Amino acid sequence: MSARGRSVVVTGLGQVAPHGRDVAAGFEALLQGRSAIALNEVGEAPHSVSLPTAVCQGFDAAAELGRPRAATMDRFSQLSALAGLSAWADAGLDQPGAVSAAELEDACVMWGTGAGGTQTLERGYRDLFIKGRARISPLSVVMGMNNAAAGQLALLLGMGGASYTYSVACASSAVAIGEAFRRVRSGECQLALAGGGEAALPYGTVKAWLSMQVMASGDAEQAPTVCRPFDAQRTGLVLGEGAAALVLEDRDHALARGARIYAELAGAGTSCDHAHLSTPDAGGQLRALRAALRDAGVQAGDIGYVNAHGTATTEGDPVEIDALRQLLGEHAAKVPISATKSLHGHLMGAAGAIEALITVMAVHTGHLPPTGHVQALDERCTGLDHVLGLGRRDARPAWALSNSFAFGGSNMVLLFKREQAA
Amino acid sequence: MTQSALTSLDLLRQVLGHFTDTPAEQIVPEAELVNLQVDSLTLAEMLFELEDRIGESMPEPAERPRTVADVLALIEPYMDTLRAKASA
Repeated sequence: MSARGRSVVVTGLGQVAPHGRDVAAGFEALLQGRSAIALNEVGEAPHSVSLPTAVCQGFDAAAELGRPRAATMDRFSQLSALAGLSAWADAGLDQPGAVSAAELEDACVMWGTGAGGTQTLERGYRDLFIKGRARISPLSVVMGMNNAAAGQLALLLGMGGASYTYSVACASSAVAIGEAFRRVRSGECQLALAGGGEAALPYGTVKAWLSMQVMASGDAEQAPTVCRPFDAQRTGLVLGEGAAALVLEDRDHALARGARIYAELAGAGTSCDHAHLSTPDAGGQLRALRAALRDAGVQAGDIGYVNAHGTATTEGDPVEIDALRQLLGEHAAKVPISATKSLHGHLMGAAGAIEALITVMAVHTGHLPPTGHVQALDERCTGLDHVLGLGRRDARPAWALSNSFAFGGSNMVLLFKREQAA
Repeated sequence: MTQSALTSLDLLRQVLGHFTDTPAEQIVPEAELVNLQVDSLTLAEMLFELEDRIGESMPEPAERPRTVADVLALIEPYMDTLRAKASA
């Protein structure tokens, strides 16, 4: 145990993502630069629109969770529950005797979502205002509430500790992971399930995003490559849906039960820009980055990979690069960076979780996924070692950052450390 | 089966199938809802979906339905309308 508390390790990973359910296969798809973005129709005609999005396919919540439970869950909760259960099983915690009843009573669920059960809410509005019904679904409240997914996971796994939901826009699930990290490090619990889920692709929500004029557009042929963070010709972000989960565990607890350790979560840095509700600020981001390094006692020169927030907006990408250049100083040009949203889309409240998972896989495998589809870097985004094309094998970063910067100015930076071979 | 020949039990089996893993043949009039994995919240949601199919609001039941037969009694008055819609 360090002066800051217990050592916290990642022992389980789970996802329901645009690249599928299998974490290793999804990571390999990223390494090969395979995009999960396609032209999809959102909504139901005549209230529908076609645009590039990244959606999850090939999962059957009713089959896996049982129809009675699945029928009472919004899609964001279904994605979340399946990702959480996968991570729990991946950690071996579903095996008899892996965790005691007392440990389960302390175990916590820290979950993130930006929009929560927005599909349920939209269905209710449709019933009221379009169909003219006198009442809406009796399940609207419990399916629509933001903490529905965390509650369902606690129910499914019998976890009796804190069950909290963080709604911090695009940093939601990164904040959830950071807060879970602090709880395990403090010794409050030995096990935490942390992550987030988002299924914010109903027509009304998508139209709101379209109104902001920050979305990349394109036809069916263009859609897979339309999201190009750091590219000089980038046109904006691509909305996605999905969920990802990490099992965070006290190292001693993990070692005692012989668990596989993917990586150590060694630091978390938080800040608020307090500058603008939607325009990011390099000063605020820099404070979160520095806080993460300070939290882990790491120097800028130690960083071997940055999974950028990198949404591909014209305004946001250069701000993040500016903050990183200030953080890394003379080391910047040697630090590999990529923005995987180019391949899996922007999972909004679940973005921090899927990107934390990808960062864990990067330090675990040593391979770095690329920023997809970059043809020419924006000169305002240069100065770091951009990983492009087919990614980079055997880079073996010792320390890696995962950045999440949200509307509202809330920033969370997670710092992962490669686990040394025993 | 055509919708114009739909019985109230057929309709209930279709709707209940969204909420339970119980095989349709076990959804019989004498079956108790609790044994079909239908709790109070699911029952309310199921009645809401039945209203959606019928196209009319049903009055709140005086007593909470306990069996499949209780639910069938609630929806039977609307079946002629539903069948007429289907064959129109």
